[in-house]
Amino acid sequence: MGEAGKGEKRVDYMNLPCPLPFEEIQREALMSLKPELFEGLRFDFTKGLNHKFSLSHSIFMGSTEVPSQSKDTIKIPTAHYEFGANFLDPKLMLVGRVLTDGRLNARVKCDLTDNLTLKINAQLTNEPHFSQGMFNFDYKGSDYRTQFQIGNNAFYGANYIQSVTPHLSLGSEVFWLGHQRKSGIGFAARYNKDKMVATGQIASTGIVALSYVQKVTEQGSLASDFMYNHMTGDVTSSFGYDYIFRQCRLRGKIDSNGVVAAFLEERLNMGVNFILSAEIDHLKKDYKFGFGMTLGE
Amino acid sequence: MASRVSSKGKAKAAKGLKGSEESSAGRFVKEWSTWAMKKAKVVAHYGFIPLIIVIGMNSEPKPQLTQLFSPV
Repeated sequence: MGEAGKGEKRVDYMNLPCPLPFEEIQREALMSLKPELFEGLRFDFTKGLNHKFSLSHSIFMGSTEVPSQSKDTIKIPTAHYEFGANFLDPKLMLVGRVLTDGRLNARVKCDLTDNLTLKINAQLTNEPHFSQGMFNFDYKGSDYRTQFQIGNNAFYGANYIQSVTPHLSLGSEVFWLGHQRKSGIGFAARYNKDKMVATGQIASTGIVALSYVQKVTEQGSLASDFMYNHMTGDVTSSFGYDYIFRQCRLRGKIDSNGVVAAFLEERLNMGVNFILSAEIDHLKKDYKFGFGMTLGE
Repeated sequence: MASRVSSKGKAKAAKGLKGSEESSAGRFVKEWSTWAMKKAKVVAHYGFIPLIIVIGMNSEPKPQLTQLFSPV
């Protein structure tokens, strides 16, 4: 494999690149196929006080869906204001967002040493027993990464991912839920070359997820995704595109559930972005359109 | 939250089923850790955003206090 004509370099198996973290294994497919679709008005304003510290004000007025037993979707009109503060340092990142109803979203990322990182993710609410938190300890080796997670409700998880060739990385994860005494194991593989990324994931919870992203031109890529849930018998497949032009970024996708969605971010001026979001569910006859504006970086 | 696990333990101890068997030191640690988690959650809930603001206002280059409130 090393000396196959055309002057390919010998593969140095002792010097493989560091793989992406386990939870980001499907990063390209998620970025292209799952934009943040919304319904209603969204307005975000980010004000930087210095290059590390910024405050953000965000307004949302629209409908949010409530899960219902019947076939019809139930939408509740909501409006909220969210205040956020971000502190971004190479070694310490603190992001906090608080809503008008008192819910706090906190994210902390701290580099304890060169290779060890602590991440904390928490959603705290005023209602008792609804808060959630997760602590992650990440260790990065030369060609592997490993992570240990502790969450509320006695959730423990660990995952490990290793580069086996310059293009292929394999990983696995285990988790244990204390309260329900459930445990699970999963495996993942990621193969990427210059213009394509293929990933596959399988878990003992009965989920199989495959994805494939191909960069077709300088500006655009196509992505497709397949998910099978053995427990519920759900199969979903989606196909989408992601085009980045000088002034805008357009993402669109179509789903096997009869959902067509598109998301446009247009740069009107330096720091001024206009957003349009559309999601049409033909089977449920649910139409969601949203528009918004983002000021600041 | 972890308080749910600890409150379950507390309820079990309060029932007095195994009251004499379960060591008082173990019960003390559980109750103390529940109390500590509850206080930590309240502190985090109210203090996280002010903490970020304090750290941010003290980072270099120091921003002015008026910049915190003005929209420009």
